[in-house]
Amino acid sequence: MSRVHLYLKSRLENVRRRLLYESYEARKLPTWERVAITWLALFIFWLVISGKFSPSHVVTGLAVTFIVALITRDFLTDDIRQTGHLLSKAAYIFFFLVPQYLFIMAFRLLESNLRVVKNVIFMDINPGIVKVKSELHSNTGLTILANSITLTPGTLTLDVDKKLGEAYLYVHWIDVETLDVEKAGIKIKGELEEWLKKISGDTALRCSIPTLHDRAG
Amino acid sequence: MIEWAFLLFGLFIMLFGTLGLLRFPDVYTRLHATAKCDTGGAISILIALALASDLPLAGKLKFFVIAFMIAMINPMVSHAIARAAYRRGIKPKAVVDMYAWDNS
Repeated sequence: MSRVHLYLKSRLENVRRRLLYESYEARKLPTWERVAITWLALFIFWLVISGKFSPSHVVTGLAVTFIVALITRDFLTDDIRQTGHLLSKAAYIFFFLVPQYLFIMAFRLLESNLRVVKNVIFMDINPGIVKVKSELHSNTGLTILANSITLTPGTLTLDVDKKLGEAYLYVHWIDVETLDVEKAGIKIKGELEEWLKKISGDTALRCSIPTLHDRAG
Repeated sequence: MIEWAFLLFGLFIMLFGTLGLLRFPDVYTRLHATAKCDTGGAISILIALALASDLPLAGKLKFFVIAFMIAMINPMVSHAIARAAYRRGIKPKAVVDMYAWDNS
């Protein structure tokens, strides 16, 4: 009796998750918007890199970046979803959260350099590879978190293991202080994950719903 | 004046990064030294160059673009080197290796 009940409950749970996932997928940006965002980002990059503003340069840049944007439209905008306030959200992220994040990272970078200098001088190393659980789920958020961990003092991300709804980072730590997953996570990630959760917003939580393909494999 | 401070700090980091490359025991700890040498040293030298040069603004902006690209790409490259070394079968000299526990 109770097993049938559990089976039905899990089926219902699966259907609910699939519905949520499909409604999440349906809120993807339309193709022309994805192409436009990628085109704009690439064109600004072209202008800064070339540093010339003559008409021939601008026209060449527009043409080339449009072709590249057509091909690579999904790489940059994969985690952006329509939430109704796309422009205000983008402005909030780029003018408020990203400068704060860069400011924090600059000081972590300085601290990590001085820490490695200290390690080189005294050779007080105690290396090990530890496993850390991450609460982020979107690909963009995980990438930024892994890169930030590499930039913070004494740690280097070795691999990311993304399973159903949860992600683990394997981190090479130059001075292992604790083997517990929770405590090591607090020591390594620090306040970074909270910032990244704010940047990726509520979409990170809905990314955790597995697809049919994931569950089959 | 301040560009000299950045330049000397970059040289200091580069010197100790090289020393770490020579003194540390295995690939993974050496990657720590070289990655920090790359980010801290190269970025502060680039900032010193941007401050000291008499280029127009677009030219100075390019130094910051290069510094930003180094800060973004360097963690990925060191991750790729570490993972490739692990896949190749180079064992770390480590007190604990949870990656081997899960992937053996």
